Amino acid sequence: MTVQPRLAGETGSWRASARSWYASGDALPFLLLAPSIVLMLAVIAYPMLTGFMYGFSTGTLLKPGKFVGLDNYLRLLQSPDFLHALWFSLLFAVFNVIGCYVLGLALALLMNQDVPFRGFFRVALLLPWIVPSIVSIVSWRWMMADQHALFNQIIGAFGGSPIYFLSDQNWAIAAVIVIKIWRSFPFMMLSLLAALQGIDRSLYEAAALDGASRWNQLRFVTMPQLRNISIVLCLLMTIWTVNDFDTPWLLTQGGPANATENLVLLAYRYTFGRNDVGLGSAVSFITLIILMVLVVVMLRRQRER
Amino acid sequence: MTTKARAHPRKAGMLASIAAAALIGLAPMAASSADAVKLNFWDMIWGPPEYIDAAKELVGEFNKQHPEIQVEYRSVPWNNWYQTFVTAISSGTAPDISTGAGYQAVQLYDQGAIRPIDDVIEELKADGELDDFLPNTVDTLRYDDHYVALPWGIDIRVWFYRKDLLEQAGVKVPTTWEELRAAAKATTKDGKYGIVASGDTGGSHFLYNAILNNGGGMFTADRKLDLKSDRNMEAFEALAAMVADGSVSPASTGYNSDDRRAAFNRGQAAFTLDGPGLIAQAGAEAKNIGVLPPLAGPHGDKATIFWVNNIMVYEQTKHPDEVKTFLKWWSKNQLPLWTKGNTGQLPTRKSIAADKAIKDDVARAYVLNNYVPIGKTTATNAAGIFPALNDVEGEGAMQSFAQELWQGKPVGPIVDTAETRLKSILKE
Repeated sequence: MTVQPRLAGETGSWRASARSWYASGDALPFLLLAPSIVLMLAVIAYPMLTGFMYGFSTGTLLKPGKFVGLDNYLRLLQSPDFLHALWFSLLFAVFNVIGCYVLGLALALLMNQDVPFRGFFRVALLLPWIVPSIVSIVSWRWMMADQHALFNQIIGAFGGSPIYFLSDQNWAIAAVIVIKIWRSFPFMMLSLLAALQGIDRSLYEAAALDGASRWNQLRFVTMPQLRNISIVLCLLMTIWTVNDFDTPWLLTQGGPANATENLVLLAYRYTFGRNDVGLGSAVSFITLIILMVLVVVMLRRQRER
Repeated sequence: MTTKARAHPRKAGMLASIAAAALIGLAPMAASSADAVKLNFWDMIWGPPEYIDAAKELVGEFNKQHPEIQVEYRSVPWNNWYQTFVTAISSGTAPDISTGAGYQAVQLYDQGAIRPIDDVIEELKADGELDDFLPNTVDTLRYDDHYVALPWGIDIRVWFYRKDLLEQAGVKVPTTWEELRAAAKATTKDGKYGIVASGDTGGSHFLYNAILNNGGGMFTADRKLDLKSDRNMEAFEALAAMVADGSVSPASTGYNSDDRRAAFNRGQAAFTLDGPGLIAQAGAEAKNIGVLPPLAGPHGDKATIFWVNNIMVYEQTKHPDEVKTFLKWWSKNQLPLWTKGNTGQLPTRKSIAADKAIKDDVARAYVLNNYVPIGKTTATNAAGIFPALNDVEGEGAMQSFAQELWQGKPVGPIVDTAETRLKSILKE
């Protein structure tokens, strides 16, 4: 008898506060965001949490194993495969970010000038980015696969001996990096071109009045104006390169002798080739942690400046 | 609406009669379709596009003959096949029955997803039908004292040679490893090579072929890794010697199997190791390609690697009896997969192998008669197949080994690396 009125009263007050919260308009943003949040929890947070838990266990995707604590992570740190994949991922990211940034910037500066057929070139230069990876990378394979392929025909025409680009560790690493730069520079170019077009022309006029050369205008006007977007672009490109599966997989499948195997390929090999989900998840989480640390450090430094 | 209906009373009446008649007429059909047991059959793509049409047609034929069971056919591509099956099983949407590669059944059985078919084997034995299977096939799929799948097709690796290149070099068809080495050396000239291999999974098949051909094997009888046995090392050294001779195309490491096949079909190498379908897919070049007789190793052994591909039943099925009916029917009536579907597999049933369509294909018939009887699995010398074989073949340790071998690296260190990796996979 005494409980029921109290419960009814509590429910009533909960309803009343919900109604007043809704009436105040504060609830609207949460209600609008709710479907997206639920979706993200279902397709991102839940798999990520499950993957994180897998990292502390043995077993396969079908047959859960036992909890092994940090054993998978400790095994990885002693594994030459993991250390090599880490080193290659770093190399791949550094060379690609530098390569596609320099090329993208150079072409953006050129496309920002009044050059003939500018519209045509702007579209043509986007092609490497637009063409599906399977098409472009298989085409590259054909051009460098053996002694009869296009590149070796050219080398032969100049009297050189054939180079087996995909059969030698060093050449294969170079090939994967070059193709990744080729696939990535259009995005850099397009973004930097947009940023270049947003720079106030009066800054250049003022610099010209002060007697600044073209080089000094680039150095002291253009580059500082591009700094923020450049940081964001380089961050994005680093993340995309470290997470790139298509380029090394379609070109070399991580070979020869795992020379072009990055962390993502290694996680795939452990999970689906070796059927060791714990080890595969551990590689994925180490990759995630490395990328998160990188992003946080770079964004902090940008804010400090 | 009412007005319209009133305006055409005769037409409305006629429509109602037709509808009623249709309902009465269709009633038994609808009831029969609703009562029929539905089975999901997932079939890997075992051949060219016409294979899928032939398989669908065959399923249609079964459905016609068995109105009480309706099988739905789904063609499954090889890309990410493991993920496809694992995802389906873990989400409770596995098929009732599927075909699969050599060790899929045993691997999934070990994880509780496959229903043993001991009862089917017993029934086939009682009917005398078990004798229709080629020797070396049904028992290959026995694991943990259970039959985990029924064989349907054989994939095997055999040596092919270019008749034109051997003729130009004045070399006779080799019959031993020693003769193969000499022939490969003699045909390496003018930018062409004796042997073309590859750096993908197909590259590792050269290694399996070599060790089995030399009387070796990857495992001991108790399933422990035995990669560095004397016979295995001798086989690896034999391949390394051919690389050292300069007889193996330097592009082999970077080639995948399609590249390798294309280079061989273009006449850029005299020998390669491939599946029995190579000649059928060579187009106009088929006339220049022949199958080598099984080569004798240095100790006189003859063997090659083969896989018994199979058809398996899933634990999740709610209709085990109907699945059994379909499994037995499919196994017995699958000839159109060869005659219409042009599958590159070799049949596991003698009755199908005896069909004119198979016999008329000289190369395929030769492989069936001369190579299949000496086929061995990756499990050799262990007692039967076991789940870890899928990981051993899929993880890429032997692939990396092959890549480094084609690069001309010394055998010792690369065998050590492969052994460490394989032991890690096998948790030894």
